[in-house]
Amino acid sequence: MANKPREASKPKVAIFDFTGCEGCELSQLNFEDQLLDILAQVDIVEWREAMDDRADEYDIAFVEGALSTPDCIKRIHDIRRRSKVLVALGSCAVDGGVNAIKNLHPIEEVRQIVYGEDQYLFPTLPALPLSAVVKVDHNVRGCPMTQIEFLKVFTALVMGKKPIEPDQAVCVECKLNENECVYAKGMICLGPVTRAGCNSQCTNFGQYCIGCRGLVSEPNLQGMAETLASHGLAMDEAWKRLQLYNAYRLQGVRA
Amino acid sequence: MAQHFLEQAKADDFVAHLMKRHPVLAPHRRGRRSFAFEQIVEPSAVVLDYPRTLGSVKKFFLPARETLLEFDLGTNTATAPAIAPAPAVYLGVHSYDLAAVRRLDHNFLHGNPERNYVTRREGALFIGVSYTPDRHHFAGSVGIDPYDTTGSDIFLTKHPEGWIVDVLTPAGQDLLKGFKLATDARPKPKREHFTQHIYVPQARLNEIMAASYNHPVWDEASRNCTGCGTCNLVCPTCYCFDVQDQVAITVDAGHRERTWDGCMLRSFTEVAGGEVFRHKVAARQRHRVHRKFKYLSDATGQPWCVGCGRCTAYCTAGISIVEIVNRLVRDAEREEQVTA
Repeated sequence: MANKPREASKPKVAIFDFTGCEGCELSQLNFEDQLLDILAQVDIVEWREAMDDRADEYDIAFVEGALSTPDCIKRIHDIRRRSKVLVALGSCAVDGGVNAIKNLHPIEEVRQIVYGEDQYLFPTLPALPLSAVVKVDHNVRGCPMTQIEFLKVFTALVMGKKPIEPDQAVCVECKLNENECVYAKGMICLGPVTRAGCNSQCTNFGQYCIGCRGLVSEPNLQGMAETLASHGLAMDEAWKRLQLYNAYRLQGVRA
Repeated sequence: MAQHFLEQAKADDFVAHLMKRHPVLAPHRRGRRSFAFEQIVEPSAVVLDYPRTLGSVKKFFLPARETLLEFDLGTNTATAPAIAPAPAVYLGVHSYDLAAVRRLDHNFLHGNPERNYVTRREGALFIGVSYTPDRHHFAGSVGIDPYDTTGSDIFLTKHPEGWIVDVLTPAGQDLLKGFKLATDARPKPKREHFTQHIYVPQARLNEIMAASYNHPVWDEASRNCTGCGTCNLVCPTCYCFDVQDQVAITVDAGHRERTWDGCMLRSFTEVAGGEVFRHKVAARQRHRVHRKFKYLSDATGQPWCVGCGRCTAYCTAGISIVEIVNRLVRDAEREEQVTA
């Protein structure tokens, strides 16, 4: 049964990128064991990183990267108009990602630092997640995007079902895997407020969670910051750790 | 039944003997300062003197993740994976974890017996071990002594030179066949005491909990709680689960997976239509503590907490179930003094 193609009407898939490192797209190209199965289910009709073809309409558009220029805003509206389903791919597209750290500084200062005297050639905006501008149907989180989650979302969409979006802390998967708690090792970890779905892959290997999959819904951020502080971080440092991937979501949050 | 003595130097031989009979699962070191039950490969890796394991032996009867069904979308058929009783020796189990197994037995054997749990539970042999209570254990307050042999086929009591071996059941006797233990009776060492206590018995706690619904402790104790669910997932008596279908990337087959769930999780309280019926973390905290000291206790007379201290020891926010309960006790008694 494996690789049986869906000849009748394979969904047309396109993959786009905005401000980001292209790591999520690279993660897709790295699906070496599943790539043939993926291609058996869909037609990839547009993907700048991997091919030359273009198309007018898409059943599913996977979009990587944050929006950070006026041109980005125009393009994402155009992509949305031509896509039946739009999936944000990775931390930048879902939450603004590390790009949004620049939002913490005045935009003129940021342009001066990055472009110097040429700054007027490069109009720039505070970094935005896709959902700040267009309707996003589904998310694949992580930095780079979590491969196992991509496969789940992809499979659900191919079947015409709504993907299940995990909404619990990384601690859940970490406990299912019976890992020693990172805090017991004297380190700090953002697992308690970070959204699961990665099978706690960092803590499985003894690393701490830096929060790349964004926040659970209704996170207790003050509580998390105080827990970090009670484990030895200065309060300012605690909030900075939380901001690494969540600067956009945290705008105006800190008391 | 009979009492023997196992010298420390012979402990590895004893484990090796058990391994000849059955697979043996026992505490091993995990990470820098934690312990976990694993199947023994090397007898010397077993740690019998440990404070607590990350998870309890629950995981062998109710696995954290378990396939309930495998389905084929092409033929539209499903098969349940075969589960057979797999006799095994659980070595080095603390009395509170055995008490937790009895509570799970109650949950899964009463009403409609849960086939997977019941089958896995069949043929389990337990070798209990005494422990020294640390700053989080409070099993004494829920009536479970560190030397309680209930549920054990063999019980090992720590002694400066090794282990006093109590053989408690014919199955335990049978396990020892072919292994020579010293038969000299040694006096049991001085009992170790708990430093953590809940100060009232369960019957009284039921009354106190009944009047605690609007107590400020729920909000106060939950101030730093992120609702991460750790307290549920490390609890040896929590048994809630979620079931999801996972479809293979080939979209022609898949499996139905059961995973541990917990009442502290927002997703647990979300029902069809997106309604979340326990929005505040404080309300979930209240529910959790009621599950341990009120709801199931009302039905059975026993607390559903076994005093292992895991939920408190592993809470990154430092929330203590003993402190919550004692605060309720203190306030209830103060109020009674005022009204008396």
